[in-house]
Amino acid sequence: RSFTSQTDGEARVTQVLREKFPRASAIKVVDISGGCGAMYEIHIESEEFREKRTVQQHQMVNQALSEEIKSMHGLRIFTSTPK
Amino acid sequence: MSGVVRAAWRLGAAAARGQVRRPLSQAATGGAEGSPGGAEGSGGGSGSREAVERLVREHPVVVFMKGSPAQPLCGFSNAVVQILRLHGVEDYRAHDVLQDPDLRQGIKNYSNWPTIPQVYLNGEFVGGCDILLQMHQNGDLVEELKKLGIRSALLDAEKDQDKK
Repeated sequence: RSFTSQTDGEARVTQVLREKFPRASAIKVVDISGGCGAMYEIHIESEEFREKRTVQQHQMVNQALSEEIKSMHGLRIFTSTPK
Repeated sequence: MSGVVRAAWRLGAAAARGQVRRPLSQAATGGAEGSPGGAEGSGGGSGSREAVERLVREHPVVVFMKGSPAQPLCGFSNAVVQILRLHGVEDYRAHDVLQDPDLRQGIKNYSNWPTIPQVYLNGEFVGGCDILLQMHQNGDLVEELKKLGIRSALLDAEKDQDKK
């Protein structure tokens, strides 16, 4: 699969994250189920995560994607704050 | 040490990817759905808040996973088991959510977290396998275990290394 193309699922998840995390400095969504839309890996860096425990940061992402998650088998979340 | 976890991780992740090829109708009942299929167990089913509360308080270390520590059935659940094993934590409560659909949904409602595995330390939800891996890598897990009165095996391993 070409690195420059993005699946519809990746684009949709990225869009939702952009809306829900307006202060995010970096968002990367990768379909790790071979394009099936069943499992995603999400990297998101945002000032909104500062001073929050990792599990709280992940909860924020879970809440933001609650609709999309319903049709996923699994997801991996990596959150960070800008240096 | 981390090489062992990475190796276990790759094996586990490959297994997880294999599982992903299930038809979507089955996948929809997999680990990541957020909304309850049926009502949250009321009046004391195995998935009710009371029942889950009892389970998470049963032991300082409680894990809700797919399969068992002896035979994990999911790469992410396997990663949790392997990480705990590296720290010498073999005595903990593990609940196989594949054996109990009510518990499987109930634990997700309880923690407001859509996926399995889920790790609880001292009755408090700590996170899934990504978070446990992060805690393992940055040393937080050794500290959290110490708070529970559990001495991580890795502390002894480090001491041996210092002696060389």
